Amino acid sequence: MAAKSVIELWLWGGPSQLETFDPKPDASPDYNNGLKAIDTVVPGMKVHEWWPNLAKCANLCSFIRTMTHPHFGHETATYLMQTGRSPGGGIVYPAIGAVMAMMRAKTYSGDLPPYVILTNAKGRFSEVGFLGDKYAPLVTGGNPNQPKFVVDGIVPPGGLTKEEIGVRFDLLSRMDTFGRNEAFADFLTAGKEARRIIEGSAAATFDLSQETDAMRDRYGRTWIGQSLLAARRLVEYGVPYITVNMGGWDSHKRHFETMKQRTADTDKAVSAFLCDLNERKLLDKTILWVSGEFGRTTKIDRNPPWNGGRNHYPRCFSALVAGGGFRGGCVVGESDETASKVVKRPVTPVDFLGSIYELCGIDPDGQMPNNVGKKLTVLPPASSEGRLREIYA
Amino acid sequence: MESGICLNSAMANSAKCHGMSRRAFLGGTAAFAGAPLFGAAPQGDKTEESVLQNAPWETVFGDATPAVLVRRLYLDLAGRIPTVEEAKSFVRSRNRKGLVDKLLASDSFADYWSMRFCDILRVKSEFPINLWPNAVYVYHRRIREFVKKDEPWTAFTRALLSATGSDFRDAEANFFRASALRTPEGLAEAATVTFLGENYADLSEKKRAEYAKYFRRVRIKNTREWKEEIVYLDPSQDGPTPAAFAEYLFGPARDKFAAAFVQRVDWWMLGLAKPDPAHVAIFRKNGFRLKPLVRAIAMSKAYGRGSVTGGFPCRRLDAEVLDDMICDLTDTKRDYQSIAPEPFTFLPKDRRSILIEDGSISNAFLLLFGRPARDTGLLSERHNEITAKQRLYLFNSGKLFRMLGRITDNKAFRARPLRTIVQDLYWRFLSRPATFDEEEMLLTFFQALPKGGGARWRFSKDVAWSLMNTREFLYQH
Repeated sequence: MAAKSVIELWLWGGPSQLETFDPKPDASPDYNNGLKAIDTVVPGMKVHEWWPNLAKCANLCSFIRTMTHPHFGHETATYLMQTGRSPGGGIVYPAIGAVMAMMRAKTYSGDLPPYVILTNAKGRFSEVGFLGDKYAPLVTGGNPNQPKFVVDGIVPPGGLTKEEIGVRFDLLSRMDTFGRNEAFADFLTAGKEARRIIEGSAAATFDLSQETDAMRDRYGRTWIGQSLLAARRLVEYGVPYITVNMGGWDSHKRHFETMKQRTADTDKAVSAFLCDLNERKLLDKTILWVSGEFGRTTKIDRNPPWNGGRNHYPRCFSALVAGGGFRGGCVVGESDETASKVVKRPVTPVDFLGSIYELCGIDPDGQMPNNVGKKLTVLPPASSEGRLREIYA
Repeated sequence: MESGICLNSAMANSAKCHGMSRRAFLGGTAAFAGAPLFGAAPQGDKTEESVLQNAPWETVFGDATPAVLVRRLYLDLAGRIPTVEEAKSFVRSRNRKGLVDKLLASDSFADYWSMRFCDILRVKSEFPINLWPNAVYVYHRRIREFVKKDEPWTAFTRALLSATGSDFRDAEANFFRASALRTPEGLAEAATVTFLGENYADLSEKKRAEYAKYFRRVRIKNTREWKEEIVYLDPSQDGPTPAAFAEYLFGPARDKFAAAFVQRVDWWMLGLAKPDPAHVAIFRKNGFRLKPLVRAIAMSKAYGRGSVTGGFPCRRLDAEVLDDMICDLTDTKRDYQSIAPEPFTFLPKDRRSILIEDGSISNAFLLLFGRPARDTGLLSERHNEITAKQRLYLFNSGKLFRMLGRITDNKAFRARPLRTIVQDLYWRFLSRPATFDEEEMLLTFFQALPKGGGARWRFSKDVAWSLMNTREFLYQH
């Protein structure tokens, strides 16, 4: 059975592999700052001490410890991790979310767009590439951790009732008489789709007040907690691809202070999400992947101006995958004693993305329909080590 | 590739790009119902405005009415709709040539058309083009000067291809830096798309090698200044230079070189997938200058056609233009995101969207409406199709709802008779009066609303909201 939905938790900036899924408690404090690893419920699968909740449900997820690519800049690395391609060649490829939106266009029948981003776009490159705006994400804006999560455009403005909105649309239909002909077919279709969202029940998906206080507390009363809760509601609705863009991982300075806070919020949110999905029997058909564009340098930079920071590092970093046909409780790959080098089983972004496509029933080597008149595959060929088949269920 | 002038094969399918059927795009007479098509012919005792109240869009001859024409000209030549005064003044005078000349000489023309050339020349700070902020502003200023002074495209091309020096001081040297790949092949790719309208990857291997050799000597090095770079030619090598490529463009490749430029202008103004040979001739005859070409098109019969039966191609307005129009109408400041790149840029909130120099600076509205990423310089990077997400936002955004309130929710505005309010709103949004039918429909609609509730109070805002959501507002037509 192919996965129905994908949640991408994007840790923008590049999180340190050492303080996440590849802790090195036996290295010197120059590398680990004296911090420890803890056991998880899975024998032999350790996680950094700042992830106590994830440790309790590590059986539901797997760690990739040997992600690797050559790009040290945020944008190029992000482009590679999102598209499986390096920039150039006079063509801009779409990110995985937009590709998935296109591939699922025929089977997904919901009113909400097939690709939703909580809450802000990555913004520094075009996610749709050559695909065009049809497959662009719905970017929610707003803050799910506010008393009311306002998704501008989804919830009627000014407290208008259904009847009042009806009057407005009646008025519009009488006024918009220009060029009532075939030239505007797309305009009319787009209008119908938009009205279905406004007048139907899809908007309630974003209404977090429908959740109990206990449930909201379980995910954590943080931006990431409530974003993942909203993501779970979108999964239940059936949205094929949901990205949660979480910033703040680019910890050149104040690395440990930043990481401690970020990991505490993320640990609580991700573990609640995994357990909740599992309890609802949704985890089997939902993929969660967690990664940034790269990891961080492993030797702590204590010189000014960094004063205890970590810099960009793509040669060896970590990711988490769960659900949707990925087995839990596994560790893929092995890094050296400081998590600086891949020792065993490198995983390229192409291998990684290819696994997600494959588990969604999309052949990564298959044709990618496009409007640029080229014969393109969904991804370039996988590396010799191949996709993550060792952890397919 | 259909035309030999490749702006990406999506271009060949231009009708689709514009989100319209090919038939309507090419000027077929599509069935049209439900609106006053053929109004009474002008009569001596009637004002121009009252003629428009019978037939707002098209004359009996299939030509655009003055109201449509003034809006069209402002949108194409100034990147905005006319103010009420500007529209009314043209409806009275009908001085098309005077208006075209005035707009061509205006700063707005330079602002808007430099935005278009910055799309072509890929002016952005970061990824996959890395000009960095300082160079972006220097380069933008130079490109705007090219438009403003109407320099020959040949001279500007030669300047771009023969420039060397610092990206901070020698603006034209940024042409080579505005390439995702700074190899001979990468630079040849940028030059081929920019000056010949050809996709480098689609050329034969022999041709690619031939073009790349012009760029073999180009080098770019850092200085001790942060994000300053020097473009220079490797003195240790012999062989052709990019300046020789310019001579190749003006010599053996001159037909393609001229056609590639005209192709863009024809696409922008007329939605043509191939350049009109007559326009190419005009461009060459006038010394490869932009303004005479734009003037000729703006004065042409084809450009003055109506879009109902006359075949003028309708297309959704550019993201930046739409943003500026809505902000102008509602007297609203903007909110740009510019977290990256360093050094951070802070734009004044009254900066018009068409004047954002840096393709890396954006906001949610511009992203939603398909502003080009400036990654490749292809025309197809700009997405002008209409989507459900866009219409959802226009229908239902709380932000837009509050913005519209800035027009209608004040005493002075509401103190006037409803008829006056309706006419005022139509002029503001659509640059024309409401027709007699429209006026009657709206007054009747109002009378049917329950008294005492919020519906009547909200009516003028709902009319403004409806106008903003019409095709007539959202499209160039």
